[in-house]
Amino acid sequence: MSSSFPSLGYGLGLRNEYYEQILAQSPAVDWFEVISENYLVPGGKALYYLDAIAERYPLVMHGVSLSIGGPHALDTEYLEQIKQLAERIQPAWISDHLCWSRGNAHQLHDLLPLPYTEESLYQVAGRVRQVQDVLQRPLVLENVSSYVRSKADDFTEWEFLNALAHLSGCQLLLDVNNVYVSSRNHGFDAWTFIRNLPPESIRQLHLAGHMDYGHYVVDTHDHPVCDPVWALYQQTLEHFGPVSTLLERDDHFPPFEELLTELSKARELGASALARRSLCA
Amino acid sequence: MRLIDWQLAFEQHLLSETSVANSSFAATLLGGPTLDVDTGLAIYHNAYLSRLQEVLRHDFGAIWYWLGDDEFALLTQAYIRRYPSAHYSLRWLGERFAVFILEYLVAEQSAPLAEMARLEWAFTLAFDAPQGAPLTLNDMAQLAPEDWPTLQVILAPSVQQLLCRFNTVAIWRASKDESDFPGSQALNLAQLCLVWRHENVCHYRSLEPGEAFALAGMVTAGWSFSELCAQLAVTYEEGAPLQAVTWLKQWIQDGLLERRVP
Ligand SMILES: [Fe+2]
Repeated sequence: MSSSFPSLGYGLGLRNEYYEQILAQSPAVDWFEVISENYLVPGGKALYYLDAIAERYPLVMHGVSLSIGGPHALDTEYLEQIKQLAERIQPAWISDHLCWSRGNAHQLHDLLPLPYTEESLYQVAGRVRQVQDVLQRPLVLENVSSYVRSKADDFTEWEFLNALAHLSGCQLLLDVNNVYVSSRNHGFDAWTFIRNLPPESIRQLHLAGHMDYGHYVVDTHDHPVCDPVWALYQQTLEHFGPVSTLLERDDHFPPFEELLTELSKARELGASALARRSLCA
Repeated sequence: MRLIDWQLAFEQHLLSETSVANSSFAATLLGGPTLDVDTGLAIYHNAYLSRLQEVLRHDFGAIWYWLGDDEFALLTQAYIRRYPSAHYSLRWLGERFAVFILEYLVAEQSAPLAEMARLEWAFTLAFDAPQGAPLTLNDMAQLAPEDWPTLQVILAPSVQQLLCRFNTVAIWRASKDESDFPGSQALNLAQLCLVWRHENVCHYRSLEPGEAFALAGMVTAGWSFSELCAQLAVTYEEGAPLQAVTWLKQWIQDGLLERRVP
């Protein structure tokens, strides 16, 4: 059982705090993930650096406002802009989240959870196909962290992801930290979630830190990755084989060197997990 | 409950004043072993407001500095309730902040604050405006002598113009320098302030009335260079061409102008 896509290796999120250093030092990062919305602007510094970095590194586009599960019509103007940005920087793939971020009336700017019902499944699958028709490529969707869930669920989250990949042809961005956060908040087994995902659909992994309040955990992306998430990550690679891995940091930005050190840790732990996999094969 | 109704209830919860959700919506949800539904819903409620307020603290740093944490939090909370976000990108969240300040606060407080909001918003607009094709000194060196009299220009796309009636620029500067609040004062004479981006860096400059008049004549009234010289002759007499060239050179060095294509 393995992911069906070649791995890009180990990447970091591209953040404006680090533009200068990336260009000046050409750090040993295999690829960068960019937040698409930051570059849907007519001009300026962000696009200048994006173009320069696109010449040197493979890029992946990661969006936060598609709102694939939202109660509104898909924003075709937004999709058109995403498509144009993709033409400009030629990302290896384009991802967003399995969530909704826009309500009926307003933009809510959060990754809100969906009920895992049949109604949601067919609604989202139809919208994924619409998006894929515009972008002319598979959409990659990420599992989000959540703090409540609907009583009406017909599926577990992993069953829903399986069914959605099957129905729509979308691929999956497995955020290992989000699985951990949600497993703590909702009381399910994180490994059961991960091992039940369809290996052939796993395109990318996310690693990130969170805030542990004891009774619950909040996905903040402002801390280093914690030990239980590293352990899950190793189990994940042992199970799926090599998968493009991205270390996310969205707040409390440390010096760039610290992120590189954490990325080296991912490489080392990843390599040993893959070695165990080949021994057991 | 249908998906759309459930989402509407969730949206109403995020937008409501209190972080306690209405009980019929809460009744559709499950918590976890140690995370109850009310806490889970409060996490979403607080995250919604604090995420948007953080964007406004970033885009309106001088107003935050001016009002302090508590007053700024109250003002931005009221803004977000009055004008919830309408664009997918948080970059546009503060678009109506200046207008809101005028609607929400009493006039003597709102006029200088709204002017600051417009100044700070001008920086966000200049920051990612289209690049355009600003004239350079090199372009001017290539310009044939016979083309000088008919030369016409427009503002480069990033240039924002503000007419300041208060010492807003001085307060903005103090906030950047983290120095003491200089106190808000009306200016004796309103002053034109330009905000623009040149070589990926944002700049600002206040113009004296004479220079503002000359620039407006060229970029708004559409004067050619020879018309500019003629207008300046009223004040500067035979020194008019020299003054015209001096300003034009400055504007071009600053990256403010594009050539007007007939
Ligand atoms: Fe993630």
